[in-house]
Amino acid sequence: MGDDLSHKVTLLALVAAALTAAGAAITAGTHASPAVIGWLGAMAFFAIALATAATARGLKAADDLREPREPHGPSHPAPLPSDVTRRGVFGQIWGIGLGAFGLLAVVPFFALQRRTSKPGTAWRAGSRLVNPDGKPMRVDDLAIGGVETVFPEGAVNAPEAATLLIRLPENTADVDPARHDWVQQGNIAYSKICTHAGCPVAIYREQSLELYCPCHQSVFDVLGSGRPVSGPATRALPQLGLDIDAHGYLIARGDYVDPVGPDSWGRPT
Amino acid sequence: MMARRGERFLDDRFGSNAAVRFFLAKIFPDHWSFYLGEFALYSLVMLFGTGIWLTFVYEASSQGAYASVVALTTATPIGYLVRQVHHWSAVVFVAAILIHMARIFFTAAFRNPREINWIVGLLLLVLSSIAGFTGYSLPYDALSGTGLRIMDSVLLSIPFAGTWAADVLNGGNYPGPQLLAHLYTFHVLFIPAAIVILLSAHLGMMVYQKHTQFVDDPGHVVGRRMWPDYALRALTAFAVTVGLIIALSATLEINPIAAYGPYLDWTVPNPATPDWYAAFLDGAVRLGPAVEFQLFGHPLPALFWPGIVMPGIVLGALFAWPWIDARIAKDSAAHDVLVPASRAPWRLGVGVAFLFAAVVLTFAASDDQQALMLHVPVTALVTAYRILLPFGSIGVGMLAAILAREVASRRDEFGGDPEPERVVALRRNANGGFDTEAPNT
Repeated sequence: MGDDLSHKVTLLALVAAALTAAGAAITAGTHASPAVIGWLGAMAFFAIALATAATARGLKAADDLREPREPHGPSHPAPLPSDVTRRGVFGQIWGIGLGAFGLLAVVPFFALQRRTSKPGTAWRAGSRLVNPDGKPMRVDDLAIGGVETVFPEGAVNAPEAATLLIRLPENTADVDPARHDWVQQGNIAYSKICTHAGCPVAIYREQSLELYCPCHQSVFDVLGSGRPVSGPATRALPQLGLDIDAHGYLIARGDYVDPVGPDSWGRPT
Repeated sequence: MMARRGERFLDDRFGSNAAVRFFLAKIFPDHWSFYLGEFALYSLVMLFGTGIWLTFVYEASSQGAYASVVALTTATPIGYLVRQVHHWSAVVFVAAILIHMARIFFTAAFRNPREINWIVGLLLLVLSSIAGFTGYSLPYDALSGTGLRIMDSVLLSIPFAGTWAADVLNGGNYPGPQLLAHLYTFHVLFIPAAIVILLSAHLGMMVYQKHTQFVDDPGHVVGRRMWPDYALRALTAFAVTVGLIIALSATLEINPIAAYGPYLDWTVPNPATPDWYAAFLDGAVRLGPAVEFQLFGHPLPALFWPGIVMPGIVLGALFAWPWIDARIAKDSAAHDVLVPASRAPWRLGVGVAFLFAAVVLTFAASDDQQALMLHVPVTALVTAYRILLPFGSIGVGMLAAILAREVASRRDEFGGDPEPERVVALRRNANGGFDTEAPNT
């Protein structure tokens, strides 16, 4: 690029940069669309790039320059005229002393242990099952094949309490015999918190009677006590025992027997 | 005029003009790939600028976080743009660091005497990823809240310390009352401070040890002066990076949290996939074995292996790589001249295998969507990815190494490389003649 051309392009680009930058600043104060403001701003920077690039092209073409590289070391400095720096037992004592200071820096962090939450969920014996709007669920509120997220009455959105209430098809009442009375007229309930990584097991597959977690694709068997069928989960979804109160509403038999959510070192199964 | 007076003022007090002149006259080797790290630096500048702005509108509490970010996004176009630029800058930042790191790896720039700078660079990558993850989590929307919950579960899977760490972070069980306040402190204080300190060390070491170069003249730095050549190119790179980030932000909406809704522990968008640079972890968690061991009567959850052990081994190998490389190459001498990837087929193979594995894990993080598209069960894809991960990586790595070796031998067959440019430095001697200094090759 010739000297002249480089100058002209640089000048034009700088003018364009100033104009677009001013445009961006003015429109930013209005309710112009973000696309307009943003593109004006972007154009300002692209114009600056053009100006610097044109200036660089206008420089006299020169060969690469060379300057010597010094070797990287070692530097072998003269020893300090001091007795204190002498190695030996003093150095070791210093080391132990500094180590103690290191402990002092680390130990306070272990005092940070705090637990504000009690184990278990908000479910109690006799808690009515309510939907996210707080409406109590009757035993026949769900159509067959239906599914609803439920909470204990008075504790909608309580952590770890989210539960999936499923109405089984009539011809599939053959659930685990040991938990036969946890199911009421085809209503069966499982924790919605995945035992793998704590995601919501949000999807009910009505055809195969499975619960599916969209995070890591664990699949749980609704008829088989919530045991994992495929995916990375290793533990069954906890099942909530159901009963019916005198007014025909679904209630819990108590809190979950099995721990809700992922396993951890500090929470033995 | 003002600049001239300021310069005089400082020079009178610090004698600073000599240092400025030294820096402006410094010679930097030049190659297009040396700008990759600069792209990261410039996006970091954008992150700080927009980040400071965002601290004035963000509310770090589980009740107010989501609403404050949605309000910011919808109230004014400039608020929307600032958040867009912040998120896009983070994407460019992490991407630029990764590509910069790949360049360092494939050209063997990490060798003696630059091992420490390789480690500092890796620490910067780790910090940037944590900065990205915490920042992505702050809006506390349905998607990022679910990501936080998974992160909490991964923390909980660590033997001995995991429960303590998760409790401290949350201030109780997930989602504890202090989770967002703690994340916010990490995101706006600890991590940026650590990045600034490590980045200063990174650049300081680079200037002090001088940049590597492709020109085969180990005794000299070959390149252009800082002023005007390099400064103009760096300015161009800066303006292009900033322009690109703003253009992306103005055009493509990123992380539309208003569409996801606020986080509740029982809702999740489907499909649920994290930001791309964290996706390899999610992929590993999807492919991990469904086994839970017992250790001293405590559970060791399945999450521990893909969530903690796998990234631990990968990071450990990366940190140790300069020494592993020196042992494989039987070369622990100091080097300032880069090795093109094609000249070291084994290193190319290792790097390609590593990248392939990362890509497989990243793709595995959306296996559910692929299963839908391909009309196959997701379990079949999991099996396929489990096989592809070890065998595909090794196979592709070996293929790359063999191809590179083949290309190198063909090059020798057809007369080899052109004779490298000979460099002879001349030095005036006391007699008025010239002495030649042989290049120490």
